[in-house]
This record gives sequence, C-alpha cells and structure tokens, in this order.
Amino acid sequence: MRFPDLLDFAWQVVRGNRARTLLILLAMSIGVAAVVVVSALGEGARRYVLDQFGSLGTNLLIVIPGRTATGGVSPGIVVGKTPRPLTLDDAYALLRSRAVRKIAPLIVGAGDVRWGSRIRESVVLGSTAELLEVRRMELAQGKFLPPGDPHHAEPVCVIGSTVAREIFGATQPLGEWLRIGDRRFRVIGLIARQGQSMGFNTDEVVMVPVASAEALFNTDSLFRILFEAKSREQIELAKEEALTILAARHEGERDVTVITQDAILATFDRILTALTLAVGGIAAISLAVAGILIMNVMLIAVSQRRREIGLLKALGASGVQVRAIFFTEAVLLALGGGAVGLVAGKLGQMAIGQLYPTIPFTAPWWAVIAAPLTAVVTAVLFSVAPARRAAQLDPVLALSRR
Amino acid sequence: MRTADFVRFAWLSLSAHRLRTFLTALGIAVGIAAVILLTSIGEGLHRFVIDEFTQFGTNLIGIQPGKTSTHGGGGLGAINTVRPLSIEDALALQHAPHILLSDPMVQGNADVEHAGRSRRVTLYGTGHTFHRTLRMKLALGDFLPADDPRAARAFVVLGAKVAQELFPGENPLGARMRVGGERYRVVGVMAPKGQVLGFDLDDTVYIPVGRALEMFNRESLAEIHVTYEPTAPLAEVEEGIKRVLVGRHGREDFTVTPQQKMLEVFGTVLDAITFAVAAIGGISLLVGGVGILTILTIAVSERTAEIGLLRAIGATQRRIMLLFLGEAAVLAALGGLAGLALGAGIAGILAVAVPALPVHTPWSYAVVAEISAIVIGLVAGVLPARHAARLDPLEALRSE
Repeated sequence: MRFPDLLDFAWQVVRGNRARTLLILLAMSIGVAAVVVVSALGEGARRYVLDQFGSLGTNLLIVIPGRTATGGVSPGIVVGKTPRPLTLDDAYALLRSRAVRKIAPLIVGAGDVRWGSRIRESVVLGSTAELLEVRRMELAQGKFLPPGDPHHAEPVCVIGSTVAREIFGATQPLGEWLRIGDRRFRVIGLIARQGQSMGFNTDEVVMVPVASAEALFNTDSLFRILFEAKSREQIELAKEEALTILAARHEGERDVTVITQDAILATFDRILTALTLAVGGIAAISLAVAGILIMNVMLIAVSQRRREIGLLKALGASGVQVRAIFFTEAVLLALGGGAVGLVAGKLGQMAIGQLYPTIPFTAPWWAVIAAPLTAVVTAVLFSVAPARRAAQLDPVLALSRR
Repeated sequence: MRTADFVRFAWLSLSAHRLRTFLTALGIAVGIAAVILLTSIGEGLHRFVIDEFTQFGTNLIGIQPGKTSTHGGGGLGAINTVRPLSIEDALALQHAPHILLSDPMVQGNADVEHAGRSRRVTLYGTGHTFHRTLRMKLALGDFLPADDPRAARAFVVLGAKVAQELFPGENPLGARMRVGGERYRVVGVMAPKGQVLGFDLDDTVYIPVGRALEMFNRESLAEIHVTYEPTAPLAEVEEGIKRVLVGRHGREDFTVTPQQKMLEVFGTVLDAITFAVAAIGGISLLVGGVGILTILTIAVSERTAEIGLLRAIGATQRRIMLLFLGEAAVLAALGGLAGLALGAGIAGILAVAVPALPVHTPWSYAVVAEISAIVIGLVAGVLPARHAARLDPLEALRSE
C-alpha cells in the first residue's frame, strides 16, 4: 500500500462517518483551544508583570534599611524602622562607587493634601530630581523637582493626575499652593498618567523634595534608596560596592539589604512560568479525555469494519499496514482537531484581549507547538490498542462471519 | 414497559458493550477526578490561610494611622504619616464600648547582642497585653510587665529562635542583653510559633512600645491591636472605636481593619482561584460529554433495528427517548462516581505523601461535580435520543 493510498483510505473513512468525525474533531479542538487560551492567560499575566517591572527602570537596585540574620524578608524590613537610619548622606555616599550612575533617595508617607476646602489623603513621596529618570516617569505639564542641594527644602511639589483631578477639578493646578500637613507647597508639575505600577500608583502621589519630606514627617530616615548601575554587567559590582560603602558609614555593620531588580524579576518570571505550565497542564487533561474518546470510537470501528479489514488482509496487507491505516486515521483526526483548536484558541485569546486591552495576551510558542503535538501523540497512543486488535484479526474468520 | 424492565433494558445495553461503557465512563471520570483533585488542593490552601490568620483570634481589629481614600490597605500608613497614632490613643481605646484589650505596636529591625553573639532580628515594641491580643503563648517567664507604657522598664521578651541562638543551652531568664545598643533584661521567652505566611515569628524580640518609639525616633505607632467581646456586634464595636479616635483627633485619619473583614477578602480571593482552577479542570468534563454524545450517536445507528422493533410493538417516542437519556445519565453517573473515588483517593494519597501541601476535599464541590456530570450526560444524550425517538418504525425495521 503506497502512502497516498493510505491517506486516501483514511480520508474515505474519516469522510464516511461525518457525525462521528465532527464530534471527535470537536473534542480534540476543545482540548487544544483550552490549552492555548489558558496558557495565553498565564503568559499575558507574566508579560504584564515583567513590563511593570521593566517600566520601573533598567539596571535598578534598591537599598532597604535593616537585615535579618536568617535572610529572606521579615515584616520589620518591609514596613519597619531601624535604630540606625539610612540617611540622605548615606544615599549620596553611594555615588562614590564607579558602578553607580544615579541615585534617588525615597521617603514615603501618607499626608492629607489640602487646597481650599478640599482635602484628600494621599501618598507623599520625598525624592530628588533624579527620581524622574531612575523610575522612568514622564511629565505631563510643568517641571519636575528642581535639581540642586538635596538638603535644601524647597516648598514645591509635583502631583499625580488623579490627585490633580480630585483636588483641582477643572482649575489649572500649576502655580497653585497646596497644603500638606502643616506646610505649604507650590505645584510646579504634573506627572503623566501611568496607572498602577507594581502596587504603586503614580497617579495617586504627591512628590516633594526629600528635605521637605524629612521636615514634614519629622524623620531623617529614608524608606529606600533607588540607584542605577552603569550597565547590566555592573549590577553585581554596584551591589557589592553599595554594601561596602554603607557598612563603612555604619561603623562596619552590614545593616542594610540591597535587592536587584533582576533578582525580583527572575523570581516573578519563575513563579508565573510555573503557574502557566501548571494551568496549561490542567487544561491538557482534556486532551487525554479526547484521546480516550478516539480509542473508544476506533474500537467500535474495528468491530464494525471486520469484513473490510479481513478483505485487506486476504489481499496481502500485513499487520503493520493495517496498523498504519488506523494510525493515519488517528493522526488525521488529531491534526484536524489541533488546527481547529488553534484557530478557536486564537479567537478566544483575541476576544479576551479585547476585554482587557492593557494585558498583552499571547499564547507562548511552546503552548502553540505542544498543544497540537500532545493531541497527535495522545491520538496515536490511544489508537494503539484498536490498531493492534485490527491487525491481529484472522482474515478467514473475519470474512466468514456474516 | 414497567420501570424494572426499563432499568434492565438500559443496563443490558450498557453491559453488552463493557469496554465501550468503561471507556466512555472513564472520560467523565477523568474530568471529575481532575475537578475534585484541584478543588481539594484549592480548598486545602483556603483552610490553611484561614487557619494561619485565625490562630491570632477572630475578634481582633487592627487600627492603622492614615486613611487613604483610594488604597485598600493601610500598609503605607505604617511608614511615615502626618497623622500619627499615639500610645495615648491605644490607652483611650480601652474605654471604648465592648473592647477587651487594646495594645499599641510598632515594628522594626534591630541588632540584639549577648555575650559576644549578635543577631539582627525583627523587633516589636508592644504593650503588656500583646501576647493576649494575638493569642501567643510563653514558654518561659512572663510577658512584659504592666508598666506605664510611656515610661516602661527595660525588659525584653525573646522569640523562640532568638533565645535558642543567643542563649544556646542556657536559661535566658534574668540575663542582661543589648537590644539596638541599649541594655535590657530578659523576662520571658515566647513559645515557638513558626512561620506565618512566610514571616518567621520566632526570630523576634518584644520590648515596651515607648522604648521602641524612642529607639526608632518616631512618633507614630504602626498599629493598634484591639480585641472585643466575641458576642458584640462588629459594626457597633467599629463605631465605638471610630468615635473615640475621632474625638481625640478631630477627624477620621486612621484605618480600622477587622480581622473578620480581612478573612472575608482572603476567602473571596481564594474561592475565586479555586473556582477558576476547577473550571479549567471542568473542560475535561466537557470533552467527556462530547464522548458520551459520540458513543450514543454510534449506538443509535447500530441499534436502529432494535428501536424499530420496540416502536413496532408499541413503545412510545417518549419511552425510546427516555431509554437513551437514561443510558446517558447512567454512563455519566457511573463515570462521575468513579472519578469522585479516584480524585478523593489521589487527594488522600497526596495528603499522606506530601504533608506540607494542605488538601481538603470540599464535599459541596463533589456533589456539584457529580450533578454536573449527570447533567452533561443528559445534555449529551438529548440529540441521539431524539434522533432515536423520531425514527420511523417501518424504515428502521427494514434497515436490517
């Protein structure tokens, strides 16, 4: 039997039982589409998170005051204070390292922002002019915090778009005087709408010079120091040097934690990839069920087509050839189901993409390959038993009966 | 046709094709097993998280400084704020209605030192009732004494791990040690608590809150923990707390987070995740349904003659339809039961083999899964059953 004949034979069988074929295709395509859509969701979430981190700036490192002996993160590190604060001078000492390009000190607090009779409690960030570049933010109007001596507490502020809308309404905020706590600040700039960025909404903040924030919150302790390494290769060096510099300033005590953005990124990447694989795998269970269906239908087909198979064998077809017929049929069905499933999955993914335009849903390449491949492999695996049964039919017995 | 005959007829047609029945039911069984297993893990996680929280008690309320109209949690308020919560606020809350205990808290990171050994730990500045509000137990000695929180003596209570690392093999009670550079005397050691949601609660020390505020040079507490009478209505308790604090501050510049609300939020999120995973597993159930549809379609075409005969001797269309629907439902129900046993079995094995993974089979989901299996079977059976019922008896008989 030549290969084109084999294909033609299988094709005839597939076409002969329309309803049956369509149902198997349906089962297979549901499985493939499910894997594609679900893994696209997972991949979309992964890319979204990675993009969010990417928008924080590249080659970014973060100094956090405090350290635990056991490693890992403790509640004290996340929100607590330390006896020895991380000061502004500590931050600027980091610039002594050759690997550090820019630094931005950060003080975070909550304050009630007042203008006229309107009050809004919002997040107040104290930082310097460098923050704009380190955090990759953009301005909508006006200027950012002025460069110059970070110890000089200038009464100016830059506000996020939500704060501007809620407090000023239709009024032009530039040049207006706001009151935060017991101090007055002049609005000199508006940050462009950026939305949520890793739990930190820049639309919701008011930024003031770091010295003003120190005075406002009556503290000399920084919440974080953000700094940027000169290049990707120098991130590790920058981390080491930062630890050394700060240890030297803190009487030889290593009481800070430096985290690199790469480390956070890699962790998130790992977790989300694993998650995508897991849900993709769960969806792939349905492919196994579809495989069981193919096996079931083929077993029925073998008993229905006894005479046909008997005739083939009587004409000299070997067991291998009979098996090949069934495998070809299974592969044809799986390929068809896979193709339909891929198209359906793609459509589903686009539909979800329309619902949530901000999240970049794309099916990962491995899912696009693995889903139809799994379909074909399961189809072949599950048709082993029916194909064997057919191949082992005795031609004489098969032809003699009815 | 009597019901007994009806059942026997359906049963015969299923048992005549053992392998076929087995495989069709297997399709459904795999789907159900997947759903049961996944929801078991989801439900187990849910319970695990809830347990982690409720070990601190359920009649607990956290009050944090700062009220952000937009941010959900008061997490940021714990850092810096222009509206501090003071120790006096915590004391005043003790007189709010239904309040049992009110304990101020500030946390941070500090060095502790004893006999040349030093260690960096999480430091909690607390009142003398902290262990009671959060239901923590002491292994040795007492918790901090009931001093005036603004001028408390320099006593420290150690977490289990700190005690073990700094005082290996000795009794730390009464020993002098340094906390953040100041001298303290050890009065107690907490019982080990282990990790709670990734935070090590044993690598901690507890000192009086007034001293901690001084050490960190800060004005505001991070949080006030309040417990209330378990029978008191939560809304009234919250109202009382707000009235007291608004009276002191002039306006509502704090966030009140009852533990119960937090539990509800966590519960909702975890339930949503469990449901989503179960739905993904349920896709297999759908495919299993397609399997039933296919097999029944084949069965109808195989048994055309038989159906024709039944119709010819007086079976109604309705009866034929019920026959096939019954067959589909039995197939699905059998598969569902097998899947339930399989899923619960694997979950049980998992629970024994991987004790770290919390597993709990939610029986509500099991019932829902079984019912949905039968419904899927019925829906899948409708088309072939109708097809069978509408066969013309004459044509059907002649087809043989």
